[in-house]
Amino acid sequence: VADDRPETKLEQDARFEREALPWMDDVYRFARSMTHDEADADDLVQETYLRAYRAWHTFEPGSDCRRWLFTICRNVFLRTREREARQVDTGGDDAVLETMAAVREASPFATSNAEAIFSRMDLVPAIRKALEELPEVFRTAVVLVDVEGQSYDEAAAVLGVPIGTVRSRLFRGRRILQRSLIEFARDAGFAGAAGKEADREGDAHGL
Amino acid sequence: MDCEENIRQLWDYLDGELTEQRMNEIRGHLKSCRGCFPHFDFEKEFLEAIAKSRVEHIAPEDLRRKVMAKLRTAGMA
Repeated sequence: VADDRPETKLEQDARFEREALPWMDDVYRFARSMTHDEADADDLVQETYLRAYRAWHTFEPGSDCRRWLFTICRNVFLRTREREARQVDTGGDDAVLETMAAVREASPFATSNAEAIFSRMDLVPAIRKALEELPEVFRTAVVLVDVEGQSYDEAAAVLGVPIGTVRSRLFRGRRILQRSLIEFARDAGFAGAAGKEADREGDAHGL
Repeated sequence: MDCEENIRQLWDYLDGELTEQRMNEIRGHLKSCRGCFPHFDFEKEFLEAIAKSRVEHIAPEDLRRKVMAKLRTAGMA
């Protein structure tokens, strides 16, 4: 609409249909990752879209509609799970310590047979299981950044928390996940013993 | 360059969340440091494995119908 007249209700509705409804698969996937339950996810998506429709006039045209819907979805979810979400100790802002600890824990694998783990084993089922078992606050941070590809800043907007909190939840979640995978790999016979360190200088460009 | 300082920012680096200057410094360091590279390589593979675990849930048709019905009740044209 090139002129300055306000949008009619019909135009607003058409824009909602055009911009918000196509994200339903994404909202559903996000809802499933939080609820782990088909029926709960179903309710959550319906409530998310209802609230989104009612608040559509507050959506800034041209901004990220998917992220806006995720934010509403997350808020609706939190309201129903408030108690659980607030009981978890998020461990404070110790993202750097989490990084260091994760690197240390993975060291035997990293310096011997990383490729073997990731290329020879199907880790998807193990990761999905470990993700499901993560406490909700960590899981949601990992899902938003690592699975849905959001930046720290975008995830912070969805979760309504500072970036530092996203970072510490994300890193802690990753560390717990990594530990589960290492256990899984060991159980499957990958000892992770220090082996001959590969000469990978030439591959460094890929990082 | 200080290896520990780079390791501290390992995940920030892999997430592309550092300043361009820091990204370049670490990238340069990794080209020559055999000590750091395997750790970055491992964590990069780890993050890629998480990304691959995404479940492609599709919103069921029945849910789409329920959402539309709710929106119509709320006044959507």
